Amino acid sequence: MKTVGTFLSRPWAVLVATVAFGAAMSLASGATIQVATFFLINVLLAHSVNLLTGFAGQISLGHAGFFGVGAYGCALLMRDYGVPLPLALAAAAALSSIVGYLLSFPAGRVREFYLAMMTLGFGMIFYEIAKEWTSATGGVMGLSGVPSPTLRTLSMFGVAIGPAAYLWIVLAIVAATTALLRNLIRSHFGRAYFAVHMSELAAGSVGISEAATKRSAYTLSAALAGLAGGCYAPLVGYLGPDSFALTRSVEALVMAIVGGLGSLPGQVLGAALFTYLPERLQAFAEYQFMAYGAILAVSFLVLPKGLAGVFTAPPRFAKIHAAALPSPLPVREPLPVADSPLLQAEKITMNFAGLLALDNVSLQLERGRVLALVGPNGSGKSTLINVISGVYRPTMGRVLFKGDDIARRKAHEVSRRGIIRTFQDPRNVPHFTVRENVLLGAHRLYRHGLWGAASNSRIALREEAAFLRQVDEMLQLAGLAELADWVLGDLPYGTQRLAEVARAAVSDPELILLDEPAAGLSETELEKLGVMIRQLRERRLGIVLVEHHMDFLNDLVDGVVVLDSGKVIYRGDMEGMRRDPEVAAAYLGIAEEEPAHA
Amino acid sequence: MDFALQLIFAGISVGAVYALIAVGLSLTFLATRVINFGQGSLLMLAAMVMAALLASGMGIVPAALSALGLAAILMVGVEAVAVRPLAQRAGSMGWVVSTLGMGILLQGFAAKFFGSQAVAFPSVLFSSEDFITLLGVRLSLQYLAVLALSVVLVLLLELILRRTQWGRAVRAVAHDPELASLMAVPVRRVVLVCFALSGVLAGVAGLLVAQITGTVDPAFGFNLMVLGFVAAVVGGIGNTFGALVGGIAIGVIEKLVGGYISTAAEHGIAFAVLMAILAVRPQGLFGRSELLKA
Repeated sequence: MKTVGTFLSRPWAVLVATVAFGAAMSLASGATIQVATFFLINVLLAHSVNLLTGFAGQISLGHAGFFGVGAYGCALLMRDYGVPLPLALAAAAALSSIVGYLLSFPAGRVREFYLAMMTLGFGMIFYEIAKEWTSATGGVMGLSGVPSPTLRTLSMFGVAIGPAAYLWIVLAIVAATTALLRNLIRSHFGRAYFAVHMSELAAGSVGISEAATKRSAYTLSAALAGLAGGCYAPLVGYLGPDSFALTRSVEALVMAIVGGLGSLPGQVLGAALFTYLPERLQAFAEYQFMAYGAILAVSFLVLPKGLAGVFTAPPRFAKIHAAALPSPLPVREPLPVADSPLLQAEKITMNFAGLLALDNVSLQLERGRVLALVGPNGSGKSTLINVISGVYRPTMGRVLFKGDDIARRKAHEVSRRGIIRTFQDPRNVPHFTVRENVLLGAHRLYRHGLWGAASNSRIALREEAAFLRQVDEMLQLAGLAELADWVLGDLPYGTQRLAEVARAAVSDPELILLDEPAAGLSETELEKLGVMIRQLRERRLGIVLVEHHMDFLNDLVDGVVVLDSGKVIYRGDMEGMRRDPEVAAAYLGIAEEEPAHA
Repeated sequence: MDFALQLIFAGISVGAVYALIAVGLSLTFLATRVINFGQGSLLMLAAMVMAALLASGMGIVPAALSALGLAAILMVGVEAVAVRPLAQRAGSMGWVVSTLGMGILLQGFAAKFFGSQAVAFPSVLFSSEDFITLLGVRLSLQYLAVLALSVVLVLLLELILRRTQWGRAVRAVAHDPELASLMAVPVRRVVLVCFALSGVLAGVAGLLVAQITGTVDPAFGFNLMVLGFVAAVVGGIGNTFGALVGGIAIGVIEKLVGGYISTAAEHGIAFAVLMAILAVRPQGLFGRSELLKA
């Protein structure tokens, strides 16, 4: 079944099906055309929910509100101000997107369910306002007299638009939106949405701002819902508040979930099912609300991937077809030999509610040097990495990167400045392929904007191609070339670690922090890791390595700092560390009063 | 002035009910980090069932107990169907959707079973005309009784959480369920009791609001749930005292806006408060921000 589905999702097959659908419907009766147009509007609404929930992992329980802002906005503009349809639709989307942006303001500061409750509240307020603001919305009596194709009162540029013509217009809007969404999802924007959804830590570590990404998802999603509402107003010609009650929000959610969150073709399936089922099945219409409730209650358990999971392949998040395009690799300036050190951590203290994880720790690193951070478990190595990379705010102390204090900056701000880290347990996006995960590393380097990404502009494709080729080179180096198109979550631990290091390397950092990169790697994998680290050193990066594997460190590092219980107990070279009695005591537990007799 | 005092008094009274709803919402949040997005339907169902039982001739006390018992049982059902099976899923998407689904299912069921029209809820605590005059202000006895009951229940719960063995167990589970279970706290039972109690609190709140409004319909609860959530957020989720302050503040603001500006603005003001508090101080007035461990 999946092969059929995949075949049908090809662009030309979709185009043929779309045109065939439009042609068949144009010949049908008025009522059939009306329902078909409803179906198309539902596709837009489902896309809107899917973008927000399926990709960005945020929940809106107030989509009826966004839909309503678009519908009333479009209706009033057309009826009272004579604004032509295309402009009114654009305005509907814009109005709604403003509301979405305002609502998403706390994103990034609170967990998703706060925003879910907020959108639920917004949806209900909108309904109340639609009922009571009689002068604008007509109140419970509704708003009539909207130019409508059914009543033959709608015209565009002097040409009357009937139901069939209106269907073609909405069909063109839906087809274009779907194509743009498909391109957007496969760009660095889509990867950022999904990365924030799946692993906020990984997203932050490659320079993705959690708050900005979530806000952009809300804004875009609201724009789509507003557009759907804009298309809805002329279709029905009359707007009553009951069309924008909680039921509509729930219906939009049900369509997207049953269709399959994260799948674009799934949204078409979901919209079709819930447009035609109540039409055909009287029993369903009668128990609609209860059925929606039951579906929401169990869908995540029974059919987590929705209908799309049965019929189509999972979505992909890179424009692999662009890789063949000729595009010059961005020229990498050799990093300057600066006189000031690259990184200076000064007197860092980290106090977790009484537990002193770091006590007055200082260290310094120059470009092109590898510093090992060594110490027994719980000595504060990872805490220090977390402080430098912006995951923790230190209680006291400064972190100077190229002379600027970056302590207390957010993780994504730190990584945008060129400090990239990996994690003690690899943090990847498990649903991405190896290639997509590594490509995620380049996020901070992308220059093309939202429109370029959605329209597959020349610049956008060439930029994607350049990074895809860099990713390929890095995958070669890491020995992962053969696994490039495998879903990373299904691959062994060692592969996930190497992919994470490759992701960090592709982001072209100036300072890289690797938290136990060798843990759990096989001999061959260790070798690949060594090759990657040497290449980074040749590129004159500063490298901090947290590691227990002494043989691995031996021929790699230029200096060692040893931590014990949050304090620096040794700094110097590897040889000196081996002979240091305090280090031996910390590692092997020899009491300091009785020095070991060599 | 008299008008303002009337409004403030009514606001304090309904605000105390919001606090009761907020405490019910936070109780499940304490135990499982889950907020029941279908809580509104439990408020509605308790009031609906009580109205139906009273109409069929049952006494006040057995009718109220049956309604509250039903709410408790339904809440345990919500835990079993919509919360526990989704515990393994990371993030909140799963449980937000599934608990909302349960709420909608119950609302649909009520609409089918009792009809979607509003049902009269008889005066049980005094009549709506009874009042006493205090310092020259007419205080409705119904509002007074609702206020007293809500405040007593909220404070009682706070006392239980702070002073009893069971309260300590709840706080241990809230802090770290795995650790609590290693310390021989019966986590499973604590969670179930929290859900059942949350259902009872929702039920009481539903009965009290229905007493004031005089009618109840299937869509009655959702608004109240959001107001309860706003109260909880203003006070800091999980903070009982904060919920009381938050609830009363919102009740008073709402009534004043409704009385002096418009009833349409009354609906919007709590929402504006929610937006403002999330933008300025998302952990609430009395809450502490959570430390994220990487």
